[in-house]
Amino acid sequence: MEQVGLAATSDVTLWSLFMQAGFVVKLVMLGLIGASIWTWAIVADKWISFGKFRRQLDQFEQVFWSGQSLEELYRTLSDRKSSGMSAIFVSAMREWKKSFERGAKSPIGLQMRIDKAMDVALAREAEALESRLGSLASIGSAAPFIGLFGTVVGIMTSFQAIAGSKSTNLAVVAPGIAEALLATAIGLLAAIPAVIAYNKFSSDAGKLSARMEGFADEFSGILSRQIDERMNARQAAE
Amino acid sequence: MKGSLATSTVLHVLVLGAALSSFTAPRTLEVADVESFPVSIVPVEEITQIQQGEKTAPIAERAAPMPTSRPNPVPDAENAGDNSVDLTSSAAATPSPREVVSEAPPKPAEQPAPKPAPEAPEPVAEPTPAPDPVPEPAAEKPAEPTPAPVDVAALPAETTPDPVAEAITEAAPAEPQFAALPSAGPVPQTRPEPAREAAPKPAQETASSKESDFNADQVAALLNKQDAAGGGAKRSTETASLGGTRTTRGNTLSQSEMDALRGQIQKYWNIIPGMADGGDVRVTVKMRLDPAGNIIGEPDVSASGGSAGTRGTLSGSARRAVLRAQPYQLPKEKYDSWAEVIVNFDPSQMF
Repeated sequence: MEQVGLAATSDVTLWSLFMQAGFVVKLVMLGLIGASIWTWAIVADKWISFGKFRRQLDQFEQVFWSGQSLEELYRTLSDRKSSGMSAIFVSAMREWKKSFERGAKSPIGLQMRIDKAMDVALAREAEALESRLGSLASIGSAAPFIGLFGTVVGIMTSFQAIAGSKSTNLAVVAPGIAEALLATAIGLLAAIPAVIAYNKFSSDAGKLSARMEGFADEFSGILSRQIDERMNARQAAE
Repeated sequence: MKGSLATSTVLHVLVLGAALSSFTAPRTLEVADVESFPVSIVPVEEITQIQQGEKTAPIAERAAPMPTSRPNPVPDAENAGDNSVDLTSSAAATPSPREVVSEAPPKPAEQPAPKPAPEAPEPVAEPTPAPDPVPEPAAEKPAEPTPAPVDVAALPAETTPDPVAEAITEAAPAEPQFAALPSAGPVPQTRPEPAREAAPKPAQETASSKESDFNADQVAALLNKQDAAGGGAKRSTETASLGGTRTTRGNTLSQSEMDALRGQIQKYWNIIPGMADGGDVRVTVKMRLDPAGNIIGEPDVSASGGSAGTRGTLSGSARRAVLRAQPYQLPKEKYDSWAEVIVNFDPSQMF
């Protein structure tokens, strides 16, 4: 009776499975493929940017601890667009310059302002590091469910179709289920790299920001010492 | 970010393209064409309880053997039996063997006489001295083909010396004769020996001619209780049903029917728990049932084991259970098997 239909559905290549799927399932599959593309885009972006960031940190630390004068370093760095430690250094130095050159009286107030400036710079850098990691987490947790939704809808429709064909032959049941399961497969395909990447990049970001925080604290100590020395010198001069 | 998005898209397109082109339809699972063994579960009843019928016939409610081809061969079939072929009452028809013996000798004696006569001399000498030499002619016979055995048979009849002839016939020279006959195939003269063909006729003639109705053999056959009398084959006019050659149905209750009986009684068997030695008592109730399932008379209760008091209590409870459980619902057609029932009560499980 429905033999013609059965013969047509026995073709189970990937493309035919996709084309046989219903509208909702197709939509889910396409959305999941989009999510996968986005995941890998983020992964590539983060991979590159984290590598660059780490290199910059190494470079800056080398320069910073090389014994070069802070004023000189500030002069070279303030001109160009900086990120990471150099951004923290520049923001602290700018605050230092502004306050000290105008002749601030209180060393405690100066110290506090410099710390605040560094905190702000640090927060900005950390935010830049962790940007888009949230979407990775969302994809990692939601993609399997979206795929499952597609599967459930697909199986539902295929069972309705089977009920219509009035045959319980496995050849009738199987293609619909296979097609529906494809949605789950794509969902997992998107979710697994997203989860792994999220875990890796969030830990990397944590490490990098901890490094920056350490630098900020150290630099804050150096500046505090400088402030004390300058204050003493100024008082001695007076 | 744009660059990486583009890279990711390109990579996805590549991977999906590769997947679509390389992931062809998976190889169809080839299920080995295993020949399925038809297994039928044969209950023991099919062997122990076979109804009469034909092995190839379809199952029918009533047992019926194959219809016999000859429906009514014996008009006065007074005998019924299990024979497959109808037999006429043999003993009545055949005359007594004694007459045959008495009439037989003269005829064979006359017939074989003329031919073997010329070659006679040699064997004659041998038979005369008692039974001892008999083995010798038997040994010689294979060597000398045809004539020898015939002579042995013929000569004693011809000569008819009183003691010698009797000695030969009694001392079984007949056996070597019969053994030799097949090898001496071509000689037809020996055939006439069985005088039975010829014999009955004169016997019947004499019987019918002499006296009109009275037949002594018939009377003897009627009186004879040892020989099996002929009888009719079992037959039916119905179409054959599936079954064996004879009905072997043990009219026993099936397991489920026994369980039903047990259940009926158990429902009413109430015993007081906590009797000290109740587990040791065994109560047996014998009862006779009528076809309606009611007990005829009083059930015979006997108990063993345990103390006298417990025994009395338990046998009383068993008796009450048996009486209250009636009428018993048992298959009517198997009444034979449950006309008398013995119920064993084992209270050990109840304590």
